[in-house]
Amino acid sequence: MSSANPGLAYEDTPPLSAPLRFFLTAPLFGMCAGLVLLFGDGVLGSRWTPGALAAVHLLAAGFMLQVMIGALQQILPVVAGVRFPAVLGVASSSHALLTFGAAGLAGGLAFGLPDAIIGGAMLLLGGIGIFLIAALAGLIRSPSVKIPSHAPRDLRLAMAGLAVTAVLGLALALAIGRGATLPIPLAQAVDLHAAWGWLGWGGILLAATSWVVVPMFQITPSYPARFTRWWAPAVLAGLASWSLARSFDAEGTGIVLGIALMLASGVFSVQTLRLQSRTRRSTPDAPFHAFRAAMLAMLAGIAALGGNLVVDSDHWSVLAGVLILHGGFAGAISAMLYKIVPFLAWLHLTQAGIRAPNMKKLLPDTPVKQQLKLHLAVLAALVLGVFADTVARIAGLLMLIEFGWLLLNMLRVVRNWQRARET
Amino acid sequence: MSTIAELMTHDHRACDHDFARAETLAAENDWQGASEALEAFAHGLNAHFDAEEQQLFPAFEAATGMTQGPTQVMRGEHVDMRAALERLRAALQARDADDFAGEAETLLIMMQQHNMKEENILYPMCDARLAHARDELCSHLSQALAVEHTS
Repeated sequence: MSSANPGLAYEDTPPLSAPLRFFLTAPLFGMCAGLVLLFGDGVLGSRWTPGALAAVHLLAAGFMLQVMIGALQQILPVVAGVRFPAVLGVASSSHALLTFGAAGLAGGLAFGLPDAIIGGAMLLLGGIGIFLIAALAGLIRSPSVKIPSHAPRDLRLAMAGLAVTAVLGLALALAIGRGATLPIPLAQAVDLHAAWGWLGWGGILLAATSWVVVPMFQITPSYPARFTRWWAPAVLAGLASWSLARSFDAEGTGIVLGIALMLASGVFSVQTLRLQSRTRRSTPDAPFHAFRAAMLAMLAGIAALGGNLVVDSDHWSVLAGVLILHGGFAGAISAMLYKIVPFLAWLHLTQAGIRAPNMKKLLPDTPVKQQLKLHLAVLAALVLGVFADTVARIAGLLMLIEFGWLLLNMLRVVRNWQRARET
Repeated sequence: MSTIAELMTHDHRACDHDFARAETLAAENDWQGASEALEAFAHGLNAHFDAEEQQLFPAFEAATGMTQGPTQVMRGEHVDMRAALERLRAALQARDADDFAGEAETLLIMMQQHNMKEENILYPMCDARLAHARDELCSHLSQALAVEHTS
C-alpha cells in the first residue's frame, strides 16, 4: 500500500480538457480516412495500395489510438488505482505527438513521402512512450491488493501489446523510408505489426474493458471467471508463439497458431454477445445495439481472415480489415464514446457544485441513434466497396459524414456543458 | 465465510437487479409497479450505504488511521447518489418517462464507476487491513444489508 488515497480522490479526476482533447481530435482522423476513400484511386483494391495503408493508419493510429489513450487515462485510476503523474502535461504532450505523428505517417503513406513516414512513426512512438512511462509510474505507486477481477492485469498486457506494435511500426517505417534491413521479409513484418495492433493491443484492451463495462453497465451476468483468467494471457502467449513461428518460417506451426488466435478472438465476441443477450435492462439503447453489431462485425472479419487462409486473394484481407477496423473497433469505440463523454461532462459539473442536466439532456438519444445507423450503412458500403471502386468512393463520402456527425454530437455535449456552467 | 469484497460486491449486483426492474417497469409505463420497484431499490441502496458508513468505513478508518482517505471520497459519492436517487423519484412522481430514463442512465453510470472503485480498490484494502476482524464484520454487515439481498 504505497499511497494514502490511491486513485479514489475527487482531486484525482483530471480536468475535463485532458481526455476531451483526445475524444474531439479522434473523429477528425476518421473524416480524413473518408476523404482518402473518396478521392483515392482503387483504394480498397488491395491492402498494399497507398490509400489503403493511409486509411488503415488514420483509423488505427489516428481515431482508435486517440480514443483509447484518452479513455485509459480515465479508466486506469478507477479500475487499477493508478495515479498519473502530471496529468495535464502527459495528456497535452502525448496528444500533440500522437496527433502530428498519425497525420505525418498517414500523409507519408498516402503521398509516398519517406521522411513523413519516419517522422510520423517517431512522433507516434514518442507520444505512446510518454503515455506508457506515465502509466508505468502510476502503476508502481498504485496499491498492491488482490482482487478477483482480471481487468487491471489485462489493461497492463494491452499496454505491453501497444509497445510491441509501436516498435514494430517504427522498424517498418525505417525499412520503407530508409531501406533499413529487417531480419525478416517486409510482408511478414507487416503481418506481425498488424496482428499485434489488432489482438495484442486493440483486442486485449477491448476485452479488458469489456470484463468491467459489459456486466456492470449493461447489467448482464459476469464473464465466466476461468474465461477472464486465461483469455488475455493465452492470446498474448499465442501471439508471441505465432510471431516466432512466422519469423523462423515454421509455416505449419504458424498456420495452426494463427487459426487458434482467430478462434480465441471469435470466442470473445461470441461470449460477449451471449452475455448481452441476457441483459436485465429492458430498454437497450443505440450504443448497446452498436456494441453488439461491433461484435458481429468482428466475427465476420475473422471469417474473412479464415477465407484468406484458404484462398490468398486481396479481397479477403481488405474485407477483414474493413470489418474488424471500421465495423468492430470503430463501432465499439463510438458506442463507448457516447457513454464516456456525457458522463464526464456530468461528473465535472457535479463536482463543481453545479446542478448538472442528466445524461440524456447533455446528449439526446435521437442524434446518437441516427449517427450509429449511419455507421452501419457506411460499413455495408465499405464491404461492397471492396468489390466495386465506385461504391468505395460513396463509402468514403458517407464515412466523412459519419465521423463529422460523431464530432458534432461530441461538440453538442461540450456546448451543453458550457451552458450549464454559465447558468 | 465470505470476504468483505464478495459480500459487498454481491449486494452491488442485487441493487443493480432492483434498479433494472424499476427501469423496465417505467419503460412499460407501469408507474405503480415502477414506484414499488424503485422503493425496493432505494431501500437496498440506502441499507448498503448505511452499512458502509456506519460499520465498514469506521472499521477501516480505525485500522488504518486514514479518515480523509478513500472512505471520505466514497461518502461524498454516496451524497451525490442519494441526490440522484431523489431526482429519479421526482421524475417518477411526475410520470415523465424521458426524464426518468435520463436520470436512471446518469445514476447507473455514477453508481457503477463508484462500485468499480470499491470493488477493485477499497474492498480488497478492507479485506487486507481488517483480516483479524473480518468474520465478525461480515456478520454485522450481512445483518445491515437489505434482507432480500443476502440470500
